[in-house]
Amino acid sequence: MRRLHGMPLILFVIFLLSGHALVPTVSAQTSVPRLNFKDRTLSNGLRVISAEDHSSPTVAINVWYHVGSKDDPEGRSGFAHLFEHIMFKSTKNMKSEMMDRLTEDVGGMNNAFTADDMTVYYEVIPSNYLETLIWAESDRLATLNVNEDNFKSERAVVEEEFRQSYATPPYGKLRLLTEQKSFTVHPYRRPGIGSIEELEAASLDDVRAFHNTYYRPDNATLIIVGDFDQKQLDAWVDKYFARIPKPSAPIPRITAKEPERTSEKRYTEYGTNVPLPAITLTYLAPPEASDDAFALTVADAVLSNGTSSRLYQSLVYNQQLAQTATSVLDLREDPALFLFRVILASGKKPEDAERSVLAEIKRMQDEPVTAAELDKAKNLLVTAQLRERETNNGKAQALGNAAVLLKDPNRVNTDIERLQKVTAADVQRVMRKYFSDTNRVVIYYLPQSMKPAASAANMNEKKQATDDKAGARR
Amino acid sequence: MTAIKIFGRAILTTFLVAIVLSFAATPTFAQQETPPPPAAPRSPVLPVPVEKVMTNGLRVIVVERTTAKGGMPLVSAQLFIKNGGEVDPSNLSGLANLTAALLTEGTATRTAPQIAQAIEALGGSLDARARWDASSVNLTIMSSKLTPALAILADVVRHPAFKDEEIERQRQQLLDQLSVALRQPGALANAVASRVLFGETPYGHLLTGTPETIKRITRDDIVKFHATYYRPDNAVLVIGGDIKAADAFKLAEKLFGDWQKTPGMIPTVNTSAREAITKFKPRVLVIDKPDAGQAAVLLVRPGLPRKDPDYFRAVVTNAVLSGFSGRLNQEIRIKRGLSYGARSVLETRRDIGPFIASAQTKNQTGAEVASLLMSELKRLSDEPVNDTELTPRKATLIGGFGSSLETNAGLVGQVAALALNNLNLDEINHYIANVQGVTAGDIQKFAGARLGTDASSIVIVGNASAFLDSLRKQFPNVEVIREADLDLNSPTLRKSGGDSSQMKP
Repeated sequence: MRRLHGMPLILFVIFLLSGHALVPTVSAQTSVPRLNFKDRTLSNGLRVISAEDHSSPTVAINVWYHVGSKDDPEGRSGFAHLFEHIMFKSTKNMKSEMMDRLTEDVGGMNNAFTADDMTVYYEVIPSNYLETLIWAESDRLATLNVNEDNFKSERAVVEEEFRQSYATPPYGKLRLLTEQKSFTVHPYRRPGIGSIEELEAASLDDVRAFHNTYYRPDNATLIIVGDFDQKQLDAWVDKYFARIPKPSAPIPRITAKEPERTSEKRYTEYGTNVPLPAITLTYLAPPEASDDAFALTVADAVLSNGTSSRLYQSLVYNQQLAQTATSVLDLREDPALFLFRVILASGKKPEDAERSVLAEIKRMQDEPVTAAELDKAKNLLVTAQLRERETNNGKAQALGNAAVLLKDPNRVNTDIERLQKVTAADVQRVMRKYFSDTNRVVIYYLPQSMKPAASAANMNEKKQATDDKAGARR
Repeated sequence: MTAIKIFGRAILTTFLVAIVLSFAATPTFAQQETPPPPAAPRSPVLPVPVEKVMTNGLRVIVVERTTAKGGMPLVSAQLFIKNGGEVDPSNLSGLANLTAALLTEGTATRTAPQIAQAIEALGGSLDARARWDASSVNLTIMSSKLTPALAILADVVRHPAFKDEEIERQRQQLLDQLSVALRQPGALANAVASRVLFGETPYGHLLTGTPETIKRITRDDIVKFHATYYRPDNAVLVIGGDIKAADAFKLAEKLFGDWQKTPGMIPTVNTSAREAITKFKPRVLVIDKPDAGQAAVLLVRPGLPRKDPDYFRAVVTNAVLSGFSGRLNQEIRIKRGLSYGARSVLETRRDIGPFIASAQTKNQTGAEVASLLMSELKRLSDEPVNDTELTPRKATLIGGFGSSLETNAGLVGQVAALALNNLNLDEINHYIANVQGVTAGDIQKFAGARLGTDASSIVIVGNASAFLDSLRKQFPNVEVIREADLDLNSPTLRKSGGDSSQMKP
């Protein structure tokens, strides 16, 4: 069998005499082994990317649909995600939950996720079931057929998901606020999980319309990684997917452009069940496909990857202002967000945490990061990539992201080199470019007990009480 | 550079390994298709662990998965101590956890920032933690950087400084983290369940400790804990991934060979779980949390120790209940839409561990979920499991086990779990046969004898006003404790007097 994967890696092992034992030691850079793949497009527009790897008798299948929460219909926020759940219900040829029979019941697994820009369905199965699953994926693309009962019970599940992930955790509501307050025009402003009211408004007709509009071969990318024979795979894909027609209507695309921010915006919200204040700062960042994404990725790692990172060392370790302080580069197809999230330590003031985050941003703008920090960030990022690629599904997701969001699957092989080339000057440049005062949204999310009472006198009393308590607890 | 992934269809993840099974063909209707059948399966090749015991008593286990065999150029390592939270003195719960957390916060020759800097410069991180029965430091690193990374791991295990300044810093962080964690109904319900089941015996407390006990721990307690349990003859080092066994043994010898064996015996541990279980009286307990966005509903009862002869019967029985297509999720999520996910966990320990079935649901349906958890447990002993149901559940279990071996960290974790319980490491290669050997009759018998509802408690943390009336109709003896009156240090779980000075605002 041909072996496409597993290229030579640059790994020099030197032996040196140390103590009483001969041990291998470092030197050397480890590179990410090249991921070789085949890329073809059927005449109906379905893109098929496949990578053979016979190290285990399993295969991962991904179907990436280029439709996400940003495509939720008006008045139906949360719909793309609700629809993702419905894709596990009946088709013309399959009963509800048959995907589970074909995967879980034979020792495999399946799942799916909905993001802002795409919806991804995936399975990992014993490789002898590959033809079965290619059929099943083609079937739910072509013949989804859901009844009212299934729709309603699954909608109830999604409402419980909303409660479990957003209404119940202490900082769940802050995650919703972050989306709502960070965008003014772009549909990214609507949280992908939606709201109970808009989920309740969704109907079976919405399901049919959404399926017809977005679930079509020319809006899908099929990715197969693992134990298969290339020729055999191509024949199965042709047999089950090529027969699905390509609709003539164009695929609707979001055209809304998020305007540049012109002044800082600040919000304060309160929550019950919130033990400690939290703050979130967001900056509009460029799309994932932008060249600046590389330097921003490195900047993000310098700021908050690990406990030697700048935010941890400053806010958590040295000043002990925060229990967590992280940055997140939330890359998207359209304008992205660079976020800072801090949950305060007890007795500390959100204003002080904000000031410290801003000081760390300014330091990144004023002086280049050190060579050691740059090197560390790159080693952390390479290790994370290697870990992602330990599994067939990890490789498939890397290919999907490159093909669908970056428009070039080969970026799984070339991006790492571009990341390695990022210089300290590049990092300083993007920090200056994107982290201006006018490009900032600041959200304070505070315990209900900190909410000012109606009268000024009450407010002062309350503030005094809070300060006392905070002091006593230290 | 990957996008943030949100909203999975399921929070559960299970996986692979080839299984021979053909599903029943769907009858063919006009124009309807049936799925193409599977081809012949291919067998997985599982790695074989090799081991050595060093002269100081340190057991070293290596599992090779080199790049030549398709692995990534990565190595995972875990050094574990065979004691954890179960040896916390009862008034100092959280001691094992705090000790483990402090390992990476300074050694005789490195400060906390220097340790973080050194390991992260190599692209890795050290994850130090205590759990039940063990304390461990974990590492995954590029294979080219293993030598310096493992040297740092050895340093933090052998020479932690436990500086006062770092103890205070960790203490404050733990207190803050706990104040957030215990606001989650699910986390709070689990903490309550441990007390309900194990009372005042060692598995009854929170692994992290409570605010009261965390504040009580002194540097002397930590130093003594480390000196007592962190010794080579009470430790195991597992290394797996892209390294030759011979090289791994040499490296272990270099870094741990001069670790002195402490004179004297390792203290024997009595977790008294068995004793607690005999005193265990089932309760139906509601923690009233009016601001809860959902109710966390738990069924808790005694499970079994890892080395119990019924282990595999228990594992397969649990798989009938748990997993995406297990009975709990079928009844609670798929049929009724009452939760995002229901599951059960049979946590085996060195001594008897807990069995916990759980789901989170809107407050109004808390009682309905509680009775579904009870009835599904009962059904296991009332009627035999049909083979058409059992065969797929076994496949799921075997697939999940296979997938847990897919990454180096997972592989090392599975081998470490066997080593911790002094089980034959070869069990990895008998897992499939052990699972396949369990019959429907075994399950019914096991469930009747050891998983009955008569010894089961219900714990619900949520807004009681929404479900209390219907709960009382099913269970006459419901106890209600207001969140403000809850005391996790006490086996009654109730604050004695009216002292609320330790309460958070």
